[in-house]
Amino acid sequence: MSLPTTLLLSLILFSAVLVSVLVALPGITASRGGKILAFLVLFVLPLLCMAIGVSSEVERSKSTSFCLSCHVMEPYGRSLRVDDPSYLAAAHFENHRVPADEACYTCHTDYAMFGGVRAKLHGLKHVYVQYLGKLPQQIHLYEPYNNRECLHCHLGARSFEEGAVHNADPELLPAVKANKMSCLSSGCHDVVHNISNLDKAKFWKGAN
Amino acid sequence: MAATSALQKRLRIAGIFVIVGLVIEAICLLWARPIAFVVMVVIGGLFSAIGVIVFLYSIVSGPQE
Repeated sequence: MSLPTTLLLSLILFSAVLVSVLVALPGITASRGGKILAFLVLFVLPLLCMAIGVSSEVERSKSTSFCLSCHVMEPYGRSLRVDDPSYLAAAHFENHRVPADEACYTCHTDYAMFGGVRAKLHGLKHVYVQYLGKLPQQIHLYEPYNNRECLHCHLGARSFEEGAVHNADPELLPAVKANKMSCLSSGCHDVVHNISNLDKAKFWKGAN
Repeated sequence: MAATSALQKRLRIAGIFVIVGLVIEAICLLWARPIAFVVMVVIGGLFSAIGVIVFLYSIVSGPQE
């Protein structure tokens, strides 16, 4: 269990104990100190616990394990460990080009100001579909993959800016940077998760 | 005296709602599943909110000193 979660659980436990005291002895609110205690434990602490709790859950929902906890995402999780550098997602995950514990979120969330909130609203829809709706046969992105997610890290990197293939055509890099030519679907980096081919793939067992 | 008793009764009810909300929140924090987030916000948040509202109502409708 992470330290913030432990601290939050301690705060919740502390609050629950204080509320229990108030429930058992409501007469203490007759004094000024009791009134202050009641205000703290029945107003301030519950709101504080809920605010920190929601923030903690939102933060945890960025984790790779959180995304992969839905059964439908299992093959996508397996695709991160394919032993083939042509698999883009696996190459990024295995070589820590993206944080391994936030791999899904790093590549699949807009980096705009409200991107995170919008992604979370999509996430709520996913939870609904997972438990109450009908799971689709194949998962699709809501919008074509935006180069912005790649450029967030690669823009300005020497290997990207000075790469021989990237500079073979002088119009290629400007088109990529303007999102007019997709990094993924234009035939250059088109092997990403490819879950339909996982049966034939070899898998990396991970570092010891 | 009766008003004080009613106030204490409302505080008890508020406290019970808050405790239930806090317990749900604690369980959801230990339960690392996507549904935990929804349960925490919707059910835990609802109980906590009812507790807070009952508390606020009890202090504005309580006996005047």
